[in-house]
Amino acid sequence: MAKKQKTSWIVWLRRLAQASFFLLFCYLFLQTVYHPINQAGRGVTFFFNLDPLVALNSWLASHVLVGAMLLSLVTLLVTLVCGRWFCGWVCPFGALHNFFTSLRGGPAKQKLEAGGYHPWQKAKYYLLVAFLVAALLGADVVGWLDPFSFFFRSLSTSIYPAINKALVAVFTWVYDANPGVGPVRLTLVTEPVYGFLRKYLLAATQPYYLGSLLIGSLFVAVVALNFWRARFWCRYVCPLGGLLGVVGKNPLVRLNKHQEKCNNCRLCLVDCQGGAAPDRGWKPSECFYCWNCKSDCPAQAITFNAGGRS
Amino acid sequence: MNHFSKWIADFLHPPKEARLDLGRRAVLGAGLAGAGAKLLFGVAPEASKRTFNPALIRPPGALGEDEFLARCIRCGECMKVCPTNAIHPASLESGFEGLWTPLIVTSLGYCDYECNLCSQVCPTHAIRQIEVAEKQKIKIGLAYIDRSRCLPWAYSKTCIVCEEHCPTPKKAIWFEEVEVRNTQGEKLTVKQPRVDAELCIGCGICEVKCPVKAPAAVRVTSVGESRNPENQMLLSSDSYGVG
Repeated sequence: MAKKQKTSWIVWLRRLAQASFFLLFCYLFLQTVYHPINQAGRGVTFFFNLDPLVALNSWLASHVLVGAMLLSLVTLLVTLVCGRWFCGWVCPFGALHNFFTSLRGGPAKQKLEAGGYHPWQKAKYYLLVAFLVAALLGADVVGWLDPFSFFFRSLSTSIYPAINKALVAVFTWVYDANPGVGPVRLTLVTEPVYGFLRKYLLAATQPYYLGSLLIGSLFVAVVALNFWRARFWCRYVCPLGGLLGVVGKNPLVRLNKHQEKCNNCRLCLVDCQGGAAPDRGWKPSECFYCWNCKSDCPAQAITFNAGGRS
Repeated sequence: MNHFSKWIADFLHPPKEARLDLGRRAVLGAGLAGAGAKLLFGVAPEASKRTFNPALIRPPGALGEDEFLARCIRCGECMKVCPTNAIHPASLESGFEGLWTPLIVTSLGYCDYECNLCSQVCPTHAIRQIEVAEKQKIKIGLAYIDRSRCLPWAYSKTCIVCEEHCPTPKKAIWFEEVEVRNTQGEKLTVKQPRVDAELCIGCGICEVKCPVKAPAAVRVTSVGESRNPENQMLLSSDSYGVG
């Protein structure tokens, strides 16, 4: 097997973008709270405004479009040129799946076998069609599986309350038990940390939500499925990914495989995020432009070029 | 320009590898599944408009139910921002179609009189943007006294908690002073609370603060909500349609 290639700087740039958008999502989530005086944080709907699926569905169902949702046109325009770049570089839910996918163990051969294109990836397009038809008839239920709705709802009704409860329990336990030797107590460290968390992260009062177990379990299941297939949600389920796949099916930025250099080692499949079949044919609608295949290729047989099909 | 037209042509008749290969039948099936789901939602009793779920209390500013369901994306922004933890994801209160849409559960939290945060953060304006002054006039439901549980009504005890918390400028809970007997047969005067249905906005603070628990002796249901002219109690004489 060929030696591991040095990770391309574009991959690092992509990771930086993903981390930034993920942190922005978390920041806006925490800003969705009561500020003095009766003012929610500004721009908390930013990611929903970027989401053309939400805009399209609510317009189909209600024939009204909220002005801020015109921002989603930017996403669509970029997708026309750069394919599902949004999924690989911007989407915070995708970043989460990417992170958990990267935690997978196992030999490269196993990842290689599971990394190729699978016909079940079409499921997301069928889901998209079903949601759009239902919306056209007046039932807008896309929020069940819209990635930002799914992520935000799971965070707000189950994951965040659980984290809040756990953190408060741990710090309260340390405070009560007060371990230490003489004047050197553990609380000297934990209390300032707790003060910081209380100010910036924890809820004013412990939140509770009806039905949080179901919502939280679905979230955990979807995250856990990354260990079975890389970015399971993004490949098979995400209806926004489906929409962007349709819009970005003939992008101007394309993967080119130089057959004369390729030695058919298929290492490009090992870290492929979308299941875009870089080894044979390349499916633009499944590609997240994560650059992993190019970075992994020991023969430098893969390049991304602007300018469309030649 | 030649390049551009080729790009458009490739979009309409994509080369083999760019095709999604979805299959006409499968796409048709998916579309029928979507239409079928809408049909099944439509035959749920909640869609009949003949019955209204008393627990289906929407946040103030929520559109009429059909329009609301057409807009809400169940994102949970309103649930996160609600400072009193009053907004919860619905289970089947509005039919399966309404799964995870926002519901105010007045046994768990009340709608704060000075707050309109949910209307500020709703990305699709399913909860339309309203000023606090407007919100304070929107009825999301109506409180009613459970006379078999209320302390002055059922036990001849003194209690004025609900009236004290009632936030409307002219209190929606008022008292009637009544001479009653206690268990020893002694006469005493208590204040029995009553709800003025014209003034009550259904915020639910009376239910949350009521000292009687599981369930409270004053509770809120969705009847009287401003957003639904059908779900009313025919209180004013002109709404009987007489004459």
